[in-house]
Amino acid sequence: MNTSAISSLFDPNMILFNVEAKDYEDLLKKLSAQLIEKGYAKESFEDAVIEREKVYPTGLPTPGVMVALPHTKPEYVIKPAILVANLKEPVFFKEMGNGVNDIPAELVFVMAIDNPEQQVDVLKKLMDIFSNKEILTSLKSCTEVVEVIDILETQVF
Amino acid sequence: MTEEYIDYLTKGVCVLKRIIVACGSGVATSQTVASKVADLLEQRGIDAEVEAVDIKSLDTYIKNCDLYISITPNTSTKFDVPVISGIPFLTGMGMNEALEEVEKTLKG
Repeated sequence: MNTSAISSLFDPNMILFNVEAKDYEDLLKKLSAQLIEKGYAKESFEDAVIEREKVYPTGLPTPGVMVALPHTKPEYVIKPAILVANLKEPVFFKEMGNGVNDIPAELVFVMAIDNPEQQVDVLKKLMDIFSNKEILTSLKSCTEVVEVIDILETQVF
Repeated sequence: MTEEYIDYLTKGVCVLKRIIVACGSGVATSQTVASKVADLLEQRGIDAEVEAVDIKSLDTYIKNCDLYISITPNTSTKFDVPVISGIPFLTGMGMNEALEEVEKTLKG
């Protein structure tokens, strides 16, 4: 994969701070709207990502800062992007692979992925971040887009 | 010539161990876990085919695999093959133990 393909997955407009939502459905509506508005996802992405989250939840009990990585099928994606939302207050997601435990997610990565085989390298690196308490904590404490980009560039690109 | 290879030649039995990883969309998480498990096994010198599949095609694929790595909520379904959780490969917590379990299952 070339660098531009990787960099293009993160758009400064898709890095959001102090996001507020009353629950994960409300949150996914707001975040989907961003991806739809900027031409990354189809209108149908919103319902698809919420429905998938209900059946196959994506909360992860990651060390330090818990995360969720909502996503859905490639058919709802126009061009690939990963939206990063830093939440004002934790929003509860169900735990992936378990579906019962509540995960108070503080960082949410909405993945609009259209070609997983091509994008798997960047996804793997993103997953490496999820097992690193220090990086998650510094991502959580970011207040500026450039700081987030800086961490992601160092860790992912 | 190893016994497995003779089996392969004579009976058409595939000796390569096959692992499937399933998630709700067959993208992103299952692909990532599959690729990560494949890398880790390769580093340990273990030959195995690791494939990401859509949960809806699980029934088709599970007949033809040695191990199923699950990242979806557990249903009460019983499978004929060993099932282990893929979550440790996403969070890094308990990953070595999970990898050892994969290794043990493949050798068993």
